[in-house]
Amino acid sequence: MAWYDELLSGARALFWRRQSDRELAEEMRHHLEMETELNMREGLSRDDARQRAQRDFGSVARYKDDVHDERGASAVEGLLKDAGFAARSLRRQLGFTSLVILTLAFGIGATTTLFAVVKGVLLAPLPYARTDGLAQLWSSWTGFEKTWLSYDEYEAWKTEIPAIEDVGLFTDGAVNLTDGDEPERVRSANVGANVFAVLGVGPLLGRGFTEEEDRLNGAPAAILSHEVWQRRYSGDPAVVGRTIQVNGAGVPVVGVMPAGFKLPLDFGSGAATQVYFPMATDAASEGAIPGPAFQRGGGSHGFYGVARLTRGSTVGMVNAQLADYVAQLVRDNVLSATRNFRAFAVPMDEQITGGVRNAILVLFGATSVVLLIACANVAGLLLVRGERRRRELAIRVALGAQGTRLTRLLFAESALLALAGASSGCVLAWAGIALVRRTAPSTFPRIADVSIEPSLLFFTLAIASMAALLTGILPALQASRVAPAEELKEGSRGATVGGSRLRWRQTLVSAEVALAVLLVVGAGLMIRSVGNLLGIDPGFNPNAVLTMRLSTPSSWYPDSNRVVAFWEDLQNRVNRIPGVTSSGSVLLLPLATEMGDWGLKVEGYTPPPNQGTPGDWQVVTPGYFETLGLRLVSGRVFDARDGMGAPLAMIINRRFAELYLAGRDPLGARVVIGGSPDSLAYTIVGVVDNVRHNALTREVKAQFYAPLAHFARAPGSTRRSMNLVVRTDGDPRALIAPVRNVIRQVDPRLPVSEIRTLDEVVRASIAAPRFAMELLGVFGAIALTLAAIGVFGVVSQVVALRQHEFGIRAALGARPGQLVGLSLRTGVRQVAAGIVLGVAAAVAATRLLGRLLEGVTPTDPVTFAAVVLITAAVALLASALPARRAARAHPGAVLRND
Amino acid sequence: MLVLKLLTIEPMHGWGLSYRLRQISHDVFDVNQGSLYPALQRMLRRGLIRSEWRVSDNNRKARFYEITRQGRQHLSAEISEWERSSGAVNRVLRFV
Repeated sequence: MAWYDELLSGARALFWRRQSDRELAEEMRHHLEMETELNMREGLSRDDARQRAQRDFGSVARYKDDVHDERGASAVEGLLKDAGFAARSLRRQLGFTSLVILTLAFGIGATTTLFAVVKGVLLAPLPYARTDGLAQLWSSWTGFEKTWLSYDEYEAWKTEIPAIEDVGLFTDGAVNLTDGDEPERVRSANVGANVFAVLGVGPLLGRGFTEEEDRLNGAPAAILSHEVWQRRYSGDPAVVGRTIQVNGAGVPVVGVMPAGFKLPLDFGSGAATQVYFPMATDAASEGAIPGPAFQRGGGSHGFYGVARLTRGSTVGMVNAQLADYVAQLVRDNVLSATRNFRAFAVPMDEQITGGVRNAILVLFGATSVVLLIACANVAGLLLVRGERRRRELAIRVALGAQGTRLTRLLFAESALLALAGASSGCVLAWAGIALVRRTAPSTFPRIADVSIEPSLLFFTLAIASMAALLTGILPALQASRVAPAEELKEGSRGATVGGSRLRWRQTLVSAEVALAVLLVVGAGLMIRSVGNLLGIDPGFNPNAVLTMRLSTPSSWYPDSNRVVAFWEDLQNRVNRIPGVTSSGSVLLLPLATEMGDWGLKVEGYTPPPNQGTPGDWQVVTPGYFETLGLRLVSGRVFDARDGMGAPLAMIINRRFAELYLAGRDPLGARVVIGGSPDSLAYTIVGVVDNVRHNALTREVKAQFYAPLAHFARAPGSTRRSMNLVVRTDGDPRALIAPVRNVIRQVDPRLPVSEIRTLDEVVRASIAAPRFAMELLGVFGAIALTLAAIGVFGVVSQVVALRQHEFGIRAALGARPGQLVGLSLRTGVRQVAAGIVLGVAAAVAATRLLGRLLEGVTPTDPVTFAAVVLITAAVALLASALPARRAARAHPGAVLRND
Repeated sequence: MLVLKLLTIEPMHGWGLSYRLRQISHDVFDVNQGSLYPALQRMLRRGLIRSEWRVSDNNRKARFYEITRQGRQHLSAEISEWERSSGAVNRVLRFV
């Protein structure tokens, strides 16, 4: 109970001080009266008696304080008092205070922003049940590092791998929602009936797909995403059971998924799936062998697979079992060893955020470094302030202030500053989070999950307390060593300043410079890397080209003749728009989507044993090559000659010619697409230069282009979704409205999607390294500025403290230049030490940038040299400004000073 | 300790305590009167004594202090401790 009593008494004393003071006064008065009476009894007059009583007792006020202290209120109250005092003294120095708060706000704001990203993207749970028991399944072989599953693989992994409980199959696509006034193209997915169960998420309304619907030619059914349900069907629960128009045909809605649900691969793409349909397929229709048997050679790959692991199994176990199984297939000669086939599972969290985890952690590290520099700077500023206040503090100590009281006072100051910094930092973080969400590439997974939430406040408070501690500890140490006698005697009039007082300050500056070098090196490497990326020739000219996606559903365009006629008509009309120089269309925009390959037979070419003749395929309409500015190497491009009835024509890339037609004239060579008996043979009419289709940094593969009109002649090969590309001699964005008008004239039912300039497509393909570069660049600049302020501060201080000495030196004949050199030297040593330290740290740390770097080694000497030079120059400038003041030291003025 | 001992005799107010202290110890303990009150507060806080406003013998309102059970226990512990240490000092004094 003792602690309880103490607490109660302390609290009462604090809050009821008035009342207890009154009681105390009463008691004192009683005491004095009694004493006075006693004295009077001893024969003194009333006045004398009272006086003596009072003398014996002493100051009433002081005892009140003593008694009050005894009641235990002083700790809390002292703190409040200190805070009040600190606030007053900080308010008096508004410039200093706002500089400190701003510095801390930047550090805290940046760190909080990045923490929000870390939390939203890496820490927040995924919208699935038991995420650690989920894995994405992939296949890989020579030329394809990570690709789809075949139906045979799906069946085998589902039943033959003990660590896998179930596999859900899905594919992605896009459909036109054609009911209502505004047709709309949305991302869609076909999912196996078990996919939602595998992911552990049930529909919000209605039901999932049944096995009957999932069967080949099963009843049509659709499940809506929460987003499209809200947006297009105004969140009406009655939509379940209603029939919606998809690609011009009626499909009944059977369910609605909950908000936030996404398929595993939707996280890395800008647009999430809006409508789900049943997979509705089987082994036979996929050209696979029913059951766990494998087709020789592997068959066609086109499915995404998500696996639910059996309880207690790990992804490592799945991978080991998959490797064993594939090895057996190779031993049984079902799969060829030379294709290097591999099946593997990727843990779900890595699948979704693995690509950005590195970048996020690097940036979070960078903001922490900024925060550290900010703290060092503030600690430095407080030290300077402490230096100026030495006399004030000395007087306080001389007048009886306890050391702990001073320390408390200084910590109260740091705490107040940190708190103010944190609240401004919160505002900055709020803006920062909005900025990150707006500027992050749309393919940045889970960026929508980054939000301002209450838990961030705790983080901010935690780092603010850390900042208060970091910034308060040095000034407090400094104050605790104040020796009043020394201080007051010396009168701060020593001719030179002892090094020890500046030592902490200088160490701080070295640390700041080192941290700044670390960040600027990181930023420099990213800038070089992005520069390299931008310098890569994509093989086409992305300037002044507008692109948009259109699709021609089979319900309105039942055969390929109509599709081809539609594009011809559309391109003719688009070409007549003023400002348009050419137009075309293409199946897959370069740098937007990865390309798949076909097995080819090239006349006169025999592939090495067990290897095929793969070629990445592209379907275009005449005008595409001119519009994208592809470079023709030989032959001709497609034109009006290559219509529906014309001889089958093909254009290949340079790599194709080098690989399969080396030493021959490629023109006129014949190529068969596919291996079935009804495959068509094309004649090569042209060779174009390589296009970096999959990524700027990926190796170019053998690639061929076929005209839409010809490709559609093979059964089932009509390409319904194409990208219109339009080149202009002006601003491509200005063409959006006229082109949409033309499309409406041709067919008002067709929705247009993904309206972008080709430039944007290219830039989006390197959005992740650019994003990292921009943020690192900003943080690097902040770090360098803060470090420069630190250097400026310490040199200013040295110059100020040595004015007296400089005056004497000037009087003895030192030239101004010598004085400037003298004060510069004090800064140079710390900067040099900081740069050396920073370079060492950077050599160790830049390896973390890893895959973000392109064409630059993490220890790129050019970058390091440039950063050293820049940092040195900035530091020199920062010290030159105050050093100049040393030159103005006038002997007379300085000696008169003080 | 002395204050507690005095309070075992009867509840007393501040001045009474200071007067008694001076009286009993023949002015050896001229307890700084100011430090008496903080000491009383300390003991109040630790629950060794309790206080109450009462009317004193000469019809004045005064704050009377009274020893608690806890105070008595504390006192006896202090006394035995004191006897032990003062006994030790006495033994040394006698021996040397």
